[in-house]
Order: sequence, then C-alpha cells, then structure tokens
Amino acid sequence: MSLDKEMQELLVNYTIESAELLQVMEEGLMELESIEESEETINAIFRAAHTIKGGAGIFGFEHIVGFTHVVESVLDAMRDGLLKVDSELVAALLPCCDHLGILVREIAKGHTEENSDLTKQSEKIIAGLQPFLDNAEGKQTDSSQVASQSIQVQDETHRVQNIECDNSKSGNWHLFLHFNPDCLRDGMDPLSFILYLTKLGEIIELTTSTQALPSAGEMDPESNYLIFEIVFKSDAEKADIENVFDFVRAGSQIHILPLESKIEYYIDLIDSLESDDMQLGELLIKCGVITRRELEEGLQAQQAKRERQQSQHIGDILIEQQTVQKPIVSAALEKQQRVKESKAIENQSIRVDAGRLDILIDLIGELVIAGASASLRASQTGDMALQEANAAVISLVEEVRDSALQLRMVPIGSTFSRFQRVVRDVSKELGKDIKLHISGADTEIDKSVVEKIGDPLMHLVRNAMDHGIEPAQLRIERDKPAQGNLQLNAYHSSGNIVIEVSDDGRGLDRDKILAKAVERGLIQVGETLSDQEVYSLIFEPGFSTADQISNLSGRGVGMDVVKRNITELRGDIAIDSTPGKGTTLRIYLPLTLAIIDGFLVGVGESSYVIPLDRVVECVALPPNENHDYMELRGEVLPFIRLRQLFNKKATLSKRQNVIVVEHLGVKAGLVVDKLKGELQTVIKPLGKLFGHVQGVGGSTILGSGEVALIIDVPTLLRQQEFASNTH
Amino acid sequence: MTEIATTTERKPVVKNTQTLAKAGQYLTFMLNGEVYALGILNIKEIIAYGELTEVPMMPDFVRGVINLRGSVVPVIDLMARFGKGMTPIAKRSGIVIVETENGGEGSHDIGIIVDAVNEVIDIAQQEIEPPPNFGIGIRPDFINGMAKSNGRFIILLNGNRVLSVDEMAALSEAGETRPLDIE
Repeated sequence: MSLDKEMQELLVNYTIESAELLQVMEEGLMELESIEESEETINAIFRAAHTIKGGAGIFGFEHIVGFTHVVESVLDAMRDGLLKVDSELVAALLPCCDHLGILVREIAKGHTEENSDLTKQSEKIIAGLQPFLDNAEGKQTDSSQVASQSIQVQDETHRVQNIECDNSKSGNWHLFLHFNPDCLRDGMDPLSFILYLTKLGEIIELTTSTQALPSAGEMDPESNYLIFEIVFKSDAEKADIENVFDFVRAGSQIHILPLESKIEYYIDLIDSLESDDMQLGELLIKCGVITRRELEEGLQAQQAKRERQQSQHIGDILIEQQTVQKPIVSAALEKQQRVKESKAIENQSIRVDAGRLDILIDLIGELVIAGASASLRASQTGDMALQEANAAVISLVEEVRDSALQLRMVPIGSTFSRFQRVVRDVSKELGKDIKLHISGADTEIDKSVVEKIGDPLMHLVRNAMDHGIEPAQLRIERDKPAQGNLQLNAYHSSGNIVIEVSDDGRGLDRDKILAKAVERGLIQVGETLSDQEVYSLIFEPGFSTADQISNLSGRGVGMDVVKRNITELRGDIAIDSTPGKGTTLRIYLPLTLAIIDGFLVGVGESSYVIPLDRVVECVALPPNENHDYMELRGEVLPFIRLRQLFNKKATLSKRQNVIVVEHLGVKAGLVVDKLKGELQTVIKPLGKLFGHVQGVGGSTILGSGEVALIIDVPTLLRQQEFASNTH
Repeated sequence: MTEIATTTERKPVVKNTQTLAKAGQYLTFMLNGEVYALGILNIKEIIAYGELTEVPMMPDFVRGVINLRGSVVPVIDLMARFGKGMTPIAKRSGIVIVETENGGEGSHDIGIIVDAVNEVIDIAQQEIEPPPNFGIGIRPDFINGMAKSNGRFIILLNGNRVLSVDEMAALSEAGETRPLDIE
C-alpha cells in the first residue's frame, strides 16, 4: 500500500472518528445545559476536542488545529472551574461544534486547504468565545492567590498526632528522620541537613524524639540517638526533598510522607494522568508521590518476601515502609483498574465495514435456506440418524443467524439524543419552552433501520413542537405547565420495535381535519369515520391543517413522506390523540429488515408467506360462502380470495381456509387453499422490476428451492380498498 | 401510459444513434423458429427450464422468478416482450441468465426463456449488417444488427435495451393502472 493511500485511509478514519467525537461534544454540551455541571461531562467534551485537534495536527490541518485550540482553551477554563457553565456559554460553544463539523466534512470531501469563507467564519466564532476567555484569565490570577493561602493540615498519621497544629502555619510534608547512629562518626551532622532543608521550604514544626536515648551509662556520645519529626512546608517535589538526605541514606531511616492536603493533590493528579496501562509503581513515580529509590526498595522487599513464600502487593509494601499513604495507593489502584477496563472495552469493539456485515448476513441467509433444504431431503429418506444430525445443524445455524443479526443491532439512543439539540434549537426559534424526555434509549434496532428512521422522526418531532405544543401563554390559560413536554420512547413489542413521539400539546382537531379533508375532496360530506381513520388523513399528500405556514411545518409536505418512509421499512404508524391533552405517534418497525417470521400458505400450486406478526388467527372458510365477507364471532370480516387476485387456475381444494390478518386495528381475511405452517425466512428483495407490485413485499426461498412471495398485508389491503372505491 | 408514449416517440432517435454490433463471440438460440444471438460477454450461464414462481399483477412478458443459487432472478419471455405471444414451454426449453447494465445503477441478472440453445459462434465485423427498418416485426432499437451464418440470418439483440429494467418496470406499472384509467 502506498503511503498516500494509507494516509487516505487514515483520513477517512479521522473524519469518521471526528464526526463521532463531535456528537459526543454536542451531547455533552446539551447535558451541561440541562443538568448542573458535572466534571466528567466537561472532561469528556474536552477529550473529544483534544482528540480532534490531535488528529488534525497529524494531517497538518492548521486551520482546524488553530480553531480547536481556542475552543479547547475555553473548555480548559471550564474544567478548572474558572468559567461558570451556563446556557450562555453552551450557546457559544454549540456553534463551535457545528463549525468543526463543517471543517471536518470539508476535509472528507477532499478540500484539505482552508478556504477564506470558512476562515472568516472561524474568526467570527472565535471572536464570540473571546469574552469568556478574558473572563477566565481574570479569575485565574485571583484564584491562584486564594489557593496559596488556603492549605490546611489535618494530621493523620499517629506520629504527628502530638504535634500542635496551627492552621495559619501548616505544612504539607511530614518528614521522619532517624539518622544512622554512626552518622556523626562519618562526619555528618543531622543539624546541617535540617538546616539545609530550610532552603527548600519552611519548617513548621520540629519534634525531637528522645525515646531511643539509652541510659547515661550506655550512651555513646559519638552516636546519634535522636529521631526528628518535621512538619515541613514546601513546594518542592518529593524527590528534591529526598535528595537532601542523599549522603546519610545508608543506615538511616528516612520517610517523607505527604500530608492530607498533599494527599488530595496526589489523588487528583493520579486521576488526571493520561496514562496507558502502567505498573502501579511507575504510576506513583510519574506523579511524584514516591521516588524511584523508594520504589526500588519496595520492590526489593517484595522480592525478599517472595523468597520467603509470602507474596504481598507492592502497594501494601510501600504503605508498610511509610513511603506513601493508603489513600494514594488506593487511588492509584483504582486508576489502574479503570485504565485496564477502558482498554478492555476498546479491545472489545471493532469497527467493521457495514458492507462486510451485509455479506455475512446474506451468506447466513443462504445457509438457512440450504439447511432447510437439507433437512427436507433428510426427512424424505426416513433415516433417523441423518434427520437428527440435520436437526442439530439447523439449530446451530439458527443460533449463528441470530448472533449475526445481533451484530447489526445498535441502541437507538444515539439517534434519540441527536434530538436534544433539535428540540433546543427549534424551541428557541419558536419561542416555546419545550423539554425533551428520552426513554428506552438502549432499545436495540437494526442499523439499517436506524439510518432510515432519522428523517421521519425529525419531521414528527418538529411537527409536534410546532403544531402540537401550544405557546406558553395558551398553555397557562389551559391550566397546563408553561413548559411543554416532548417524549421520545422506544420499546420492543411482539416482534416489533415501537418508537413513540408524544407531546402534551393541544391534540389533533378531529373536526378541523374532517373539514379540510372534505374541502380537498378526500372524503364526502356526511361520511362517518372512526377516529383512527380521521387521524390517518393527515398522512395524505399535501394535507395540512395549520392556518399559518411556518418555516418548520405547515406546508403539508412531510407527513406523507414520513408515512412512505416508514412503509418502506415495512413499518406502520398509528396516531393516538386526546384533544387538549396531547398526541402520541407510534411507529411500528420490524426488528430487522433481513429476516421475518412468516406463515406459509398455499394458493393453487404456489406458496406464499404472510408475515406472522400480521396474522391473528386461522379459521375455515364456511362452505358455500358466495360473497366476499363472512361472520367471525358476530363481526363482519371482509376477505380477499387470493386465488382470484393472483389468477390461479388450478382446481379448487375442498377445504379453504381464511387467515385473519390485522393492519392498523382493521381485520381482514385472506382466503388460501392450504395452511403449511410457520417458518422463519430470509427476505430477498424482488428488485426494481417488481417495485410497483401491490401486495407483494418481497420473496423468499423455501427449503425445496422454490421461490415464495411474501405478502405485504398493508399494501394488499390498501389496494383492495382502492379497487372497491373506484368500482 | 405516458411512459409508453415517450418510448414510442424516442424510437427514431434511438435508432440513429445506435451503434452496430461489434465482432466477437455470440451465443445463438432459437425462439419461435428464428435464430437470435446475444454477446457472450453478458451471458452468465444457461440453465434448464425449471420451477418458476409466478408473480401476480405483472405483464405477460414477466414469466416469474426463479431461485438461482439463492438469488431471486426474474425471467422474461422475449416473445411476449416482442408482442408475439407467449413462448410455449417444451422439453428443450432453457433459461439464459443475462447480466444487464442499468444506467449506472449497477447490473441486474435477468433470465430469458429460449426454445433451445444452439452454439457459441464467432461473428466477424464484415458479416454484421445494420438491421432493416421493418420486416422483422421487432422494435428496431431492440436489434443491434443482423449477421449471416451458414446461410441463415441471425438477429443480434441489444441486450441492455431489450432487458431494460427501467422500461419493463414502467411498462408493467402502466399495464397495471390501465384498466383504472379507462374507468
């Protein structure tokens, strides 16, 4: 692979990744606006911006680097708490996300050079951020002064308990110095070390312990018996303090421990370290809580213990040796664990070209068909062992198929969360206060469905906001809370996924819709329609009851497109509305576009598959039924004779059956010759040539190798209605 | 309906711009006593006539669909497409699977019913003549040329045009709505 090509691939990855990161940023910002600020969210936004900048740097997109850098500075100030997170700040940052998106998309299109229009826009947006930056800088100088004054000491270790502690004079290090008894003989005076220490900082407290002093008779005046405990205040690193005692190291016990305030500092430092998977010791050294020498001693001790068959964690040894306190070690261990976990998660997800998945699923579809064919042949032989072996293969194939389909399932949450932004922007535009509630975000749905559901959902959401939810004034008059509520919900229901868009607005106006429909000649005056039928009129092309056409909706284009898009996905849409209370639109979608559970029937010589989720029941056709309806438990059931519709000439079977199907609450019967049972089957699209055929939704290959057509109940019923209307 | 009208009007234009068939290898086959040929490069395979599933509400020239090793392939009756009635199925009937280009939308596999498959022959450029303006009884834009071989004329078909998915889909759609138009 040439370098250019390699770069090209990297670039594609970069643009994809950036798009995802921008999504993260946007979601984060929306979250910041709605909930009180959370450090984790700000960090996530910052990381996203940082990664985009880093990537741009690799490719040399200076304009992106420059722009992101400014954004990053603002985020950094937010992270440090210098900037208060409010809607104003979020409003300033959201356009940055959008603009970055534009910049990245330009690059994806191959325009790697910056163009002057975009540069101007970048400058404009940056100018919008400038006040925030200035503000942050002002605060920074203030806060650093405050910080230096407010260090507090709370002694924790028992050694320092007896030290009187004065809050105004407090230290951040605790030094335990037990010099080598021979140090005076070696020409080292402990005092000189302690004096030297003052060059690094201030000694707040010094306690001299004389416990080790023997009785006068035994005392060797040339030996050192004194132990010093010092509360020391210094900004120096631990290693620097340790260096002071380099010369007396041998034979001495010297422990340098951070005090409470310092502990917090270290814990924060450990948390903020961007580390790869590293050893605990390395982690502690990196943030300066221990020195390399201390670590080595600890490791030696660990080694020694291991030789004595005692294993001990390095962290515990370090605590035992009093080089570090427990909270720091725990923090470091936690950090290590997190790094490991996130690594594990990274390893678990692989980015795969969707095309390859499609090929896999296609192949598995073939396997299902081939398997069905094999088991059919096996059952014809009457060889029990062969049939059993085949059954085992089939059940495995089914498992493989299910898990392959799982590969394509993605949670609908990411689609939903995009609407946070939409709702925010649109409600501002409309001057309404609308809150979006999301539930069922982890409901999984086929990726190809997710991709196609975005636009229809967008329409429904905008519609609900524009037409459904009343202006605040009107809401208050109607005793409703001023804030409108919009809910997106998703859940699984008997083989379907249901997506609900509901609002607590004014509801659909039945009379207005009827009047409009009469005006447009869709229905006759005086026709009686059920609520459901009336509501479904709004899906007619060009239908709008809005008195005013707005930017958003009211032109009457849209709902019919929504309906068509959903129908294309083999889905359905139903409306539930209570005047004055609100409207709920329910979109029913199949779980996957690739495979359906079907009911196999025979008409004449041919086989047809009726999607099982449409089938309510099967009943026998009453003999000598001459008209096209029958009685089903006291109700009239109209039916379609498939034999006639499909023009089958083969001889009538003695006993005909009626499959009762349901669509949008309307029941109808399909008269068939034979009932052949349930099957799970792979849908094969029929292609463009058959695109217009009403009532046939696709085809499938049966175990026998025969092609069976899949009956599309909604279009079949609609076609029949249409035909009877025109007669 | 309008679709048909435009196709009829377009005919002369198509004919003028139409290029003559190129020399090369052709598969010849029999249909209703005539010898037809298609360029070998577009032919994927030849199979025996087998189980065919009819699709309702389609014009006569779409005989149905078959299972070609897991993909569903439509089968076209060329005689019906030429307006000469349905091809009767006999012992030697076969289905030739042809790959057709569909104006940038990728290729489609389409089967055509033939009475019998003859052979693959080489046709030189000098053997190819432009088709007569009338007399064959087939729309002129369906034909790329005539070739003479062993004292017989072979009709060289323009596969992409005869089997144009767009046109056939438009025809079947128009055919379906026709009764309603009349009402």
